[in-house]
Amino acid sequence: MPCPSDTSFRKRWSEIVAGRLGIVIALIVIAAVLALLKPHFLSAANLTNVVRQVSINGILAVGVTVVLLTGGVDLSLGSLVAVTGVVAAHLAHPGAFPLAVPIAAGVLAGAACGAVNGVVVTRCGVPSFIATLGMMTAARGLALVLSNGRPVSNMSPSLTKLAGDVGGVPIPAMILAAVALCVAWMLRNLRLGRYFYAVGGNELAARAAGIRVQAVKFAAFVLCGALSGLAGVVLAARITTGQPNAGVGYELDAIAAVVIGGTRLSGGVGGVWGTLLGVLLMGVIGNGLDLLNVPSYYQQIVKGVIIIGAVWFDRCHQSAGKERGV
Amino acid sequence: MRALRDVTFELRRGEVHALMGENGAGKSTLVKILAGLHAPDEGEVRVDGRRVTLRSPHEAMRHGIAMIHQELMPVPDLTVAENLLLGREPRGRIPGTVDRRALRKEAQRLLGVLGAELPVDVPMRALSVGEMQTVEIARAIGTQAAVVIMDEPTAALSDREVEALFAAIRKLQANGTALVYITHKMDEVFRIADRITVLRDGRHVATSPAADLDVQRLIALMVGRELVGGRVRDRVEPGARVLTAEGLTRDGCYREVGLSLRRGEILGLAGLMGAGRSEVAAALFGLVPAERGEIRIDGRPVRIRHPAEAMRLGIGMVTEDRRAEGFVPLMSVRHNVTLASLARCCKGPVIRHAVEADTAARAIAQTGVKASGDGQAVVELSGGNQQKVVFSRTLMPDPEIVILDEPTRGIDVGAKAEIHALIARLADQGKAVLLISSEMPELLALSDRLLVMRQGEVSAELDPLTVTQEEVLKHAMPV
Amino acid sequence: MRKLCVLALAVLCGCGRSGAPEAQGPVIGVSLLNLSNEFVVTLRDAMDARAKELGVRLIINDGQRSPERQVQQVETFIAQKVDAIILNPCEVEASSSAVQKALDAGIPIVNVNSETRAVPTAFVGSRDEESARLGMAYIADRLKGEGGVLMMEGYMGQAAQLKRSAGAIEVLKKTPGLKLLAAQTAEWDRAKAVTLMENWLQAYGTSIRAVFAQNDEMAMGVVLALERAGRKKDIIVVGVDAIADALQAVRDGRLDATVFQDGKGQGRGAVDAALKLVRKAPVEKETFIPFQLVTKENVANFLK
Repeated sequence: MPCPSDTSFRKRWSEIVAGRLGIVIALIVIAAVLALLKPHFLSAANLTNVVRQVSINGILAVGVTVVLLTGGVDLSLGSLVAVTGVVAAHLAHPGAFPLAVPIAAGVLAGAACGAVNGVVVTRCGVPSFIATLGMMTAARGLALVLSNGRPVSNMSPSLTKLAGDVGGVPIPAMILAAVALCVAWMLRNLRLGRYFYAVGGNELAARAAGIRVQAVKFAAFVLCGALSGLAGVVLAARITTGQPNAGVGYELDAIAAVVIGGTRLSGGVGGVWGTLLGVLLMGVIGNGLDLLNVPSYYQQIVKGVIIIGAVWFDRCHQSAGKERGV
Repeated sequence: MRALRDVTFELRRGEVHALMGENGAGKSTLVKILAGLHAPDEGEVRVDGRRVTLRSPHEAMRHGIAMIHQELMPVPDLTVAENLLLGREPRGRIPGTVDRRALRKEAQRLLGVLGAELPVDVPMRALSVGEMQTVEIARAIGTQAAVVIMDEPTAALSDREVEALFAAIRKLQANGTALVYITHKMDEVFRIADRITVLRDGRHVATSPAADLDVQRLIALMVGRELVGGRVRDRVEPGARVLTAEGLTRDGCYREVGLSLRRGEILGLAGLMGAGRSEVAAALFGLVPAERGEIRIDGRPVRIRHPAEAMRLGIGMVTEDRRAEGFVPLMSVRHNVTLASLARCCKGPVIRHAVEADTAARAIAQTGVKASGDGQAVVELSGGNQQKVVFSRTLMPDPEIVILDEPTRGIDVGAKAEIHALIARLADQGKAVLLISSEMPELLALSDRLLVMRQGEVSAELDPLTVTQEEVLKHAMPV
Repeated sequence: MRKLCVLALAVLCGCGRSGAPEAQGPVIGVSLLNLSNEFVVTLRDAMDARAKELGVRLIINDGQRSPERQVQQVETFIAQKVDAIILNPCEVEASSSAVQKALDAGIPIVNVNSETRAVPTAFVGSRDEESARLGMAYIADRLKGEGGVLMMEGYMGQAAQLKRSAGAIEVLKKTPGLKLLAAQTAEWDRAKAVTLMENWLQAYGTSIRAVFAQNDEMAMGVVLALERAGRKKDIIVVGVDAIADALQAVRDGRLDATVFQDGKGQGRGAVDAALKLVRKAPVEKETFIPFQLVTKENVANFLK
């Protein structure tokens, strides 16, 4: 999918939707089926729930989208969520520090781990799959060390409010929206954003064009780490503790959402809006399965089948488009 | 747009039938239909008078049609013998195993038919491009193909390997195999082909015995107009020395290489494959720095460790393999063109899209890229237009020194002429140009001075206006 | 640089030598379910303390929720010829082979907290069904036998989940007025519990009168979701384990009740039983340490 030409806002939106039409249709179909089976699905309260529940996965997914665009991968997301949550919780006891401190500390801790990932990949030449796998294990251990194996509780209400609502809109969802807008803007309007696509599209050509490929990859990992840190702080606020066991498996959910959204695992193609669609699709499926009280055993299977189906439908639509010369 | 329209093509046993035409003329589409990669919308294919439907390469092979692609795709880590007989390994006694001794023997036999002496137990990646091609041809012989299609077989071969290829082709002919030979190279066509078919814009233009045509008439048929060849520019007074390199050395690649580039001058660099020319260029552009030696720009010694540093010093380069390192395939024309000089379209770190669109449009107009809008992905363009995109990108930062490595490889006649004109214009504008090419006529037509490299060293400096192709070859051949 | 290495080496050697000389005391190998679980940490701390009192050396391994790893650890203990083994099993079926191996090797093995199908030399623990019975009975009592109840389960297939579900369903069968609206797993995880409860509120609305969560982490998640939705007042929430957070919540009136599992008692009891077996003294085949229901009335006893 080539970058859409830089024309009017409306034209770009219609191009983006057209490019992701398969997933959009899948989302509408699934939502319609759910609405028929459980009319409550479409209630404002439930939809607000869905949006609230996908926020954390959404922030992670936006972060890892950038790494995937450069042709790398980050498997340490879940563990970073845990360790940054623990760090933030330690600094968030009532009356200890102003609200900005635990939030900043969580984000910086995430960025630091991301930087380590970046160094191991760019300087030591370790493939990102292995490097971030190592970080996944190490960060989990660090979370257990920092928390002594127990959840860090006694969190000040000002931080827990971060997971609450303002005027009926969940704050985590607003945070996700802000993050998505910033990253989307960056990808389109900053030199660095363009370079992410170039490095993922053809690393050799990017280098021959004078781009500092290693620096670009490093930046991607730091950004992803920082956003994982932000997700960790939001999760800690949502469960009012810093949990060393939090976030297990979150990286797979995030990457699944990104891939559903059309970003290629090989890099160079994709973007934030597709990721948000993928996140939404997975959230709707999870919510629907709970509403329908599908037994736990079957929920995993159903989720997997629907995800594969949605991606398959989308790819069919894409290749059909290519043959028609779209 | 139809790729092919109402094309009739007839192949006789034992003949070498060349298929020629500009890029986009339909040659690739025609042979892909024969090889089972595409199904025709209308029309039919007949083998030995019987109508066949070829729905896959596998079916084509069963009917005796084998294709050797322009981009070779062997399995690099398997041995030569394993590649040769991939899919047709002789069975061992235990079901599911391979009889390794029979495998080697058969591989050696097939190579022997071509008169090629290659070790069969080494991994494919150890072979040169020309040797890999020989293996592919031997593979085609092994499948007992009645028809062998070759798409630009000599694009990456040295002269010596081309000779070996022609010998192999003649052997195949003697066996009764028919060959379809796609090429852009004039000299080859007249040496090897029995008949020539010309396609233009998807239609059949002419089929004629090679003896009845000459270069001029052939080109005229292909482009529909007369092209004048020969020297592209007049010799000029060279300007000041802008880049000098001395004692450049990289173990295993090149040794004690020295050269100087002057403003307004095109320095040609000739040599066989593996002589080290591309490696020297990579050192000058910072892709793979030299281990020893000195480079000076305008008299100042410099260290070039990364293309970004080279670009800052005013050096630009069009690399050898555009597919691998020239452009970002799924990115648009516009974004590819501005990739090396995005800073100019920016205010701080923020891209100004209107400025970028403008700048890109001007650059594209200068090199004449033909695409359906500059939002099209570069991978969808023809080879010639892809190369023009790479040129645009390289020239946008307005480099003083331009290095070109095989700038017209795999490009049709019309686009080639346009690029030659572009290169000449660069020199006229006062830039210093280093032109690396394996096409002798191109070097002699464009260069003001000519260096020849042989086995990693500079072996001669010649005058392109007076030297003959044979002399150049003599200095390029290994001693 | 060299001096630093020697110094570091000396420090490391010194570390290994802290505590009483144990060349004489018996050695017990301990394989625990999962040290990132708070309750298991309590078990370990209790065993450590008791072992120090008795002059016994413990080799403590973390099974990390994998029965395979436990089997490997027990095999290593057998090879090291420990005097006894204490096993805190991951799974009823899969960890059984570890018990069997110890028995075949003639090394006494004590199961603590959870059961396996294979019968060990001794068992010290609590009956998980009892905890669920206590919790559900409390709910039945508060609701006067009428109302819609939700059950949040732990990791499917683990002994604790199977037993607590069984115990809860026993009570539900005896109280026909209580209707089980749904039973789903939140895998012992607080975050998953929050999400599940939010979705349940949408699905079942006002028919929910009580939620029984099979552990406190999930119960805390339920409480959070209910408080945010403003529904805490009309729904009763009960958990199991009595972790520090939960006790605090009971005292503050946020959590209605939890069930105290005496981890300390189990840990101590396990070491005691193991030592008795080593000394070939008589020991109870099964020691059940009772659960205790914790409500606002008696929570002060448990907060220390």
